[in-house]
Amino acid sequence: MMDVSLEGVAVARGGRTVLDVSALSFLSGTTTAVFGPNGAGKTTLLRVVAGLDRPSRGTVRIGGARVGHDRGAQRTALAFQEQVFIGGSVRRNLDLALDLRRVPAAERAGRIAAVAVACGVATVLDRPARLLSVGEAQRVNLARALTLRAPVTLLDEPLSGIDRIARTHLLDDLPRLLATFAATTILVTHDREEAFRLADHLVILVDGVVRAAGTKTAVFRAPADRTVAELLGYTVLPWEAGFLAVPPGALRLGDGSPAFTLHVERVIDMGDHPHLVGRVGDVRVDLRLAGGEPLPSPGETRRVSARSCVVLR
Amino acid sequence: MRDLARGFAEALRLLGGGDRELWSVVLRTFAISGGATLLAMVAGVPLGYALARGRFRGRTVLLALVNTGMGVPPVVVGLVVWLFLTRSGPLGALDLIYTRRAMVLAQFLIATPLVVGFTAAAVQALPPQLPDLLAALGAGRLRALWILSREAKLGLLAAVMAGFGAIVSEVGASMTVGGNLRGSTRVLTTAIVTETSRGNLPVALALGLVLLLLAFLVNLLLTLLQQRRTR
Repeated sequence: MMDVSLEGVAVARGGRTVLDVSALSFLSGTTTAVFGPNGAGKTTLLRVVAGLDRPSRGTVRIGGARVGHDRGAQRTALAFQEQVFIGGSVRRNLDLALDLRRVPAAERAGRIAAVAVACGVATVLDRPARLLSVGEAQRVNLARALTLRAPVTLLDEPLSGIDRIARTHLLDDLPRLLATFAATTILVTHDREEAFRLADHLVILVDGVVRAAGTKTAVFRAPADRTVAELLGYTVLPWEAGFLAVPPGALRLGDGSPAFTLHVERVIDMGDHPHLVGRVGDVRVDLRLAGGEPLPSPGETRRVSARSCVVLR
Repeated sequence: MRDLARGFAEALRLLGGGDRELWSVVLRTFAISGGATLLAMVAGVPLGYALARGRFRGRTVLLALVNTGMGVPPVVVGLVVWLFLTRSGPLGALDLIYTRRAMVLAQFLIATPLVVGFTAAAVQALPPQLPDLLAALGAGRLRALWILSREAKLGLLAAVMAGFGAIVSEVGASMTVGGNLRGSTRVLTTAIVTETSRGNLPVALALGLVLLLLAFLVNLLLTLLQQRRTR
């Protein structure tokens, strides 16, 4: 079993603690999304598991064995967010990766062909890697990590920087690719949709600290606090002494319980439906309308109610 | 114009005629400047790498010093080396003054800043995350350095060419610390000076052409190596 576990791991950079994880494990065979805002320490977490950064204290284990400075590298495959290539063709880049993992030359061509077809980069194998489009480069970057078939695959923002259509395609392909080439996967993202579409488990990281961890459903259903709730897409509204977290899409026009007063600021035509932007107290609220109902005008106030909600303390 | 033509004719005659003294001067020049370039690479490439990648106090000042070193007149370097190696100097006991070793030392000091500067520029032109990528893929330190050097090949070979080109063509330092002793420390450039001062212009010109030819052949080889395509 290739569980990944972190115990009391802290990483300091320039005198500042960027990661402080008391205990966290990633179960063998699962895909976990490490999700959080920019600068939360997500990339640092991956680098520590890959053995690239040495924690100032604590231990990281893969399958029970401690990650040293280079031992970890052999059991992990890391796709960096920046698509870094050596000069030469895509094939040369994939070949170097396999060569560095001591895959015999006779085996490499077959492995490269298989991963290239699966990742949709078979046609660019002989093109210079540094001249690829961002979308192609992102796929090659992914292919290089996957072809290693490492026990632990680490993906840093695998869908960043590519246009919407390419992203949609890759988002559709990724689960199948991970099932074929990866065992345990840890992927870092700041995008909620990516996290939910790709992972079974979620780890929410804010300011270097784990704020929530568990299965998607468990993490989503019980947001621990306001920050986590907002990251998960909840609208957090003041309610009596504390806050109510309203799940995405659960807010609607009309009275009910609980209900709030919305000051409408803008009405946006989204093509197939209207969209309201306004404020409840000083919280910005975004409301998708079904269409067909009478539209309020900017400046008006309306009652809105939540179909479901979670009470935050 | 007539002198130029006579120079060409003389050069062909000297080279073709298998002039023993000329050939020994050519070989000596190649050995001294080639050796100094090699030593400058051994010292300069790691230094250039450290300057490009290191994050330490005074790095920028050091880079500026290196860049200044790239432009120091060879004769000044020769003078300083002479002051150290001369009989009464601090290193006089080594008995190196007016030897080929003294010339190698002076040329090494001239070429090293060039190699450091070119290497630093070449390494800084690489993607900054490349070392991390290689480490993540499991490359050991030596293997990673080898791959990085291959990636920086263009710049590194430019460093060799700049270093060799600078010292094979300089005359001040070689004259000062070598003494232009016939059969011992006379190289192409100092021989040119000697022949010119004697008024042997065709011979001086011929030696100049030989020097150019030597430089061209070395650079041709290095350029072929540099421009070879990576598959």
